[in-house]
Amino acid sequence: MQGKTIYVIARQELTINIRNRWTLIFALVFGVLVVSIAYVGIMAEGFSGVQSFTRTSASLLNLVLYVIPLVGIVMGTVSFTGDKGSMELLFAQPLVRTEVMLGKVLGVFASIALSTIIGFTLAGLVVVLGNGPEGIASYLSFVVLALVLSLAFLNLAVLVATACRRKAKAFGIALFLWFFFVLFYDLMVLGSTLLLKGQTANRALFLSLFGNPVDMVRVATLIILDNVTIFGASGAALLRFLGGGTLSVLALIGGLCLWTILPLVVSHRLLLKQDI
Amino acid sequence: MIEVQRFSKRFGENWAASDISFQVKEGEVFAFLGPNGSGKTTTLRSMVGLTVPTSGRILINGVDVRKFPRETKRFMSYLPQRVVFPDNCTAREVIDFFCRIRDLPPGRAEGVMQAYQFADLSGQYVGEFSGGMIQRLGLAVAALPDAPILLLDEPTANLDPQGVKRFREFIMHQKENGKTILFSTHLLHEVEQLADRVGVFVNGRLAAVEYIDSLRRTYRATTSIEDMYLHYVEKRDYERN
Repeated sequence: MQGKTIYVIARQELTINIRNRWTLIFALVFGVLVVSIAYVGIMAEGFSGVQSFTRTSASLLNLVLYVIPLVGIVMGTVSFTGDKGSMELLFAQPLVRTEVMLGKVLGVFASIALSTIIGFTLAGLVVVLGNGPEGIASYLSFVVLALVLSLAFLNLAVLVATACRRKAKAFGIALFLWFFFVLFYDLMVLGSTLLLKGQTANRALFLSLFGNPVDMVRVATLIILDNVTIFGASGAALLRFLGGGTLSVLALIGGLCLWTILPLVVSHRLLLKQDI
Repeated sequence: MIEVQRFSKRFGENWAASDISFQVKEGEVFAFLGPNGSGKTTTLRSMVGLTVPTSGRILINGVDVRKFPRETKRFMSYLPQRVVFPDNCTAREVIDFFCRIRDLPPGRAEGVMQAYQFADLSGQYVGEFSGGMIQRLGLAVAALPDAPILLLDEPTANLDPQGVKRFREFIMHQKENGKTILFSTHLLHEVEQLADRVGVFVNGRLAAVEYIDSLRRTYRATTSIEDMYLHYVEKRDYERN
């Protein structure tokens, strides 16, 4: 495997994505929403100033948990179900398939990260100018978690696209996954725990947290922001089982890493065996 | 030298290519002739590692394509049937990209831009190109590495007469430069004009490999080259039944 080839493909993918109007629309909408949310604090605090980094992060959390996975999964599917002619031409070059996969993932991720970071930076500037840098470390951790979440969903999209091959089918499954993890999963878990009792229900809640990267990011962010009161059942179970915030965050980061790496490993195995 | 040894490919229950073996010598123009679905594209694609063989192997200068994809693909330049480039990239960016992928000197990109008349269009996006310009860009990309082997999948399909003429000139030029060329087609006159040898594909099998001159001699008196092809198809069908 050659790093240079991966870099060349990633750069090309980044260029294509940056010029894509959907990326621009996402960057613009995300930036406007993030800055607006940061400004809403002015009204909430009676025009006494812009809200702090901690409150801004908490306010942005829901937006991030809905939008970032959607962007990751859509852009990943678009990139990996590209036109057959262009894929054939690329894979026929003197390179190995692993390089194409990693290059494309890095390129798409870089474009998502760029759009996201611009939005977060604008909001950060608003907060710093209005309220000073207090709590900026938590805010930066939140940004990193948002980026990891986008990578996890991007890699899920790679897996779906590699397994399905057909664009329409891949899009259908990818959007179903977004719906499942963002909207349906919590309902399913809470519903199923109603059937369980005591310690078993707690254990199920604890384990369920590691089955959904969206929940992991939500709980990890809330722990980092020291906002345990709005945790929900799974987060409370996590703290009870692991006994502390630091260990819980580390466990969640480990879980997120697995969610990021495993889909890519499976996609890679599929890609090596299949026809382009 | 290209050597295909007992290559077979199955898609589900269907054998797209079955027990195909042949050799192509250096500097030879070899045509894959057959109707749609006869196994031409599957065989050609497997030579650049796009299709994974169910069995058999393909050797380029004695090296297995499956085991050493990077090394073997350095000897080859492949042009798919339908060439597509990103709409929001310029011709310059497309050429530069393939130049960097192949680790070629930047001067090579410049030369190809000039040779294929993209020097004045280097800032124009591919999305604004006509079909003919995209084909020309495809040929430029294929010629870029100056690889000793060219693989072209139905290169004249969907081309207007001007595009067909351009392609023929391209092949003749590459042939003069000593390139080994393999192309697939279902057009008999194209085979007659361009190829030294032809492999006749019928229902996923290689029914015959013949020199064009020898075919002409054999069939000149009685039949046309079209009749020759139909003869192979009927022979194959007869053997199957």
